Amino acid sequence: MKTSAVFSAFLSLLSLGSAASSEVKSSSTSTTLPATFKPPQVFKNANLVHVISVEKNYVKENINVLVENIEKAAQHEYFVPFMADQMARLGGVEVKDRKDSTAGPFVAEAVEFDQESDIQYLRIRFPKPLAPGASQTLGITYYLLKAYKPLPASIKQEEQQYLSFSFSAYCPSAYTTSKQKTEVKFPTSTIPDYTKLPGSGDAKEFPLKQGSKLTYGPFDEKPAGATQPVSVRFEFNKPVTHVSRLERDVEVSHWGGNVAFEERYTLHHRGANLSALFNRVKWQQSQYYQPTTFALKELKFPLRVGSADAYYTDVIGNVSTSRFRSNKREALLEIKPRYPVFGGWKYPFTIGWNSDAKTFLRKTAAGGFVLNVPFLEGPRQQEGVEYEQVQIRVILPEGAENVQYHTTIPTQSITEGDVEIHRTFLDTLGRTALVIKARNLVDDFRDRELTVTYDYPLMAILRKPLVVFGSAMAVFVGAWLVGNLDLKIATRK
Amino acid sequence: MDSSLHEVWQAAAGSPFVPTVGKGSQFLVAFVLLVLGFTLGGAFALNRSAVTLPVLAAPASLALAFGVVYMFCAVGVYV
Repeated sequence: MKTSAVFSAFLSLLSLGSAASSEVKSSSTSTTLPATFKPPQVFKNANLVHVISVEKNYVKENINVLVENIEKAAQHEYFVPFMADQMARLGGVEVKDRKDSTAGPFVAEAVEFDQESDIQYLRIRFPKPLAPGASQTLGITYYLLKAYKPLPASIKQEEQQYLSFSFSAYCPSAYTTSKQKTEVKFPTSTIPDYTKLPGSGDAKEFPLKQGSKLTYGPFDEKPAGATQPVSVRFEFNKPVTHVSRLERDVEVSHWGGNVAFEERYTLHHRGANLSALFNRVKWQQSQYYQPTTFALKELKFPLRVGSADAYYTDVIGNVSTSRFRSNKREALLEIKPRYPVFGGWKYPFTIGWNSDAKTFLRKTAAGGFVLNVPFLEGPRQQEGVEYEQVQIRVILPEGAENVQYHTTIPTQSITEGDVEIHRTFLDTLGRTALVIKARNLVDDFRDRELTVTYDYPLMAILRKPLVVFGSAMAVFVGAWLVGNLDLKIATRK
Repeated sequence: MDSSLHEVWQAAAGSPFVPTVGKGSQFLVAFVLLVLGFTLGGAFALNRSAVTLPVLAAPASLALAFGVVYMFCAVGVYV
């Protein structure tokens, strides 16, 4: 930092080019409607299948619905209701046409109309308006974070962990639903408690249990907004890993031909707390006779082939319990936290690595540069990982301009995209940094792409050596001038 | 967001970015340039004049300039 401070003094002497003027296209994910808003009853759900997957430590929900336009005019907006607390935990919304994959992009966005209302809406815009009487099969996928509660809330360290989850057996809908059923998929077939409902037709009672799956329904016609609260309690003897904040830096260096990655995690375990003090002896014993545990003891990060110089630190410093295997086929970073992480515990840590720029950076025909990096590269765990807040910072070289980006992450999860200035070693103006903020993502979005294009003019490329050149020349010229000064006391002859 | 950026990435498949000096030779290049820079700088210090300023000081500054940038990269601070 001192180096950059000294060189910045010489900046005023050298007008090396214009300041980095960068543009970025950001996305907005919400719209505002009047407080009295109610979705118009223009659709009917002819058939609906709601699949809730609680197999991982986040909830993945999939609503496959055949919608019919019952109005006389063409319609292009479909509303999905959520409870207000669900809305804050909702992420990764993707909508597809189940029968026609080329139907074009459906835009899903949160509707802001009344902050006090218990019901909030997600608006889905059709690529083409749905004609009167016509129908379309929508596949709506989304994720809910922080969805479970451990029950019992505290257990012994060698006991099994059980989680409970509450939902509605009738799929929440803003429209009348003629026929529907709700399937719940579990990680194991051990489901000690679940709400039973009176059956209809052939079934005496709901749900029907088949292995690790429960099915509520089929139900007959239900009005808009109908709900039937049910809850399930199931075995989940795996860590409930929750990353409350992930800061991911991607630093591009043209001079070094390098792309450096650093990820800072604030990790929590949202599972059952320990009912007694942690016993190290019991823990070591259980590693031999009962290796499965609900404590988090290892994280595996499959990185891109060619990654090098991996490091793993936490607040104390370097953590030596890690292994990095990098060869032609893989680059796998395996880390063990300093202590097994049990429910209610927290473990913040940092990992980082380098890669050759040629893997991620290309020159475009127009003379600019295009960078393509994974948006998320978190751990790949069997039980999944959920991310509440994600901040990706792409630090481009000093003087990069005309920044544009595109990501394949669902736009509903992107909250902000902005260009900032990041100052570090040997900088004068500071580097152009594209900062993208996202929320409520899960590890299913691992390896989704982030593409950034930018221009990097020659004078900006040469800024660093020119600043050092100017500084050195100033020292030499100064030395010459000072050496020429006549400091003698003797009188002139 | 502009979805055409992915096509830009695909179109540029044939021209990956390759730096002027590869990672393997950064230290050697930086070291040689810094030695050259300090030698010329030292020579200028011994004989400071209006003639040696462009002959010794300017090439010394140039060698130091690129030497410093590459030495930063060679020690792992990818600037």
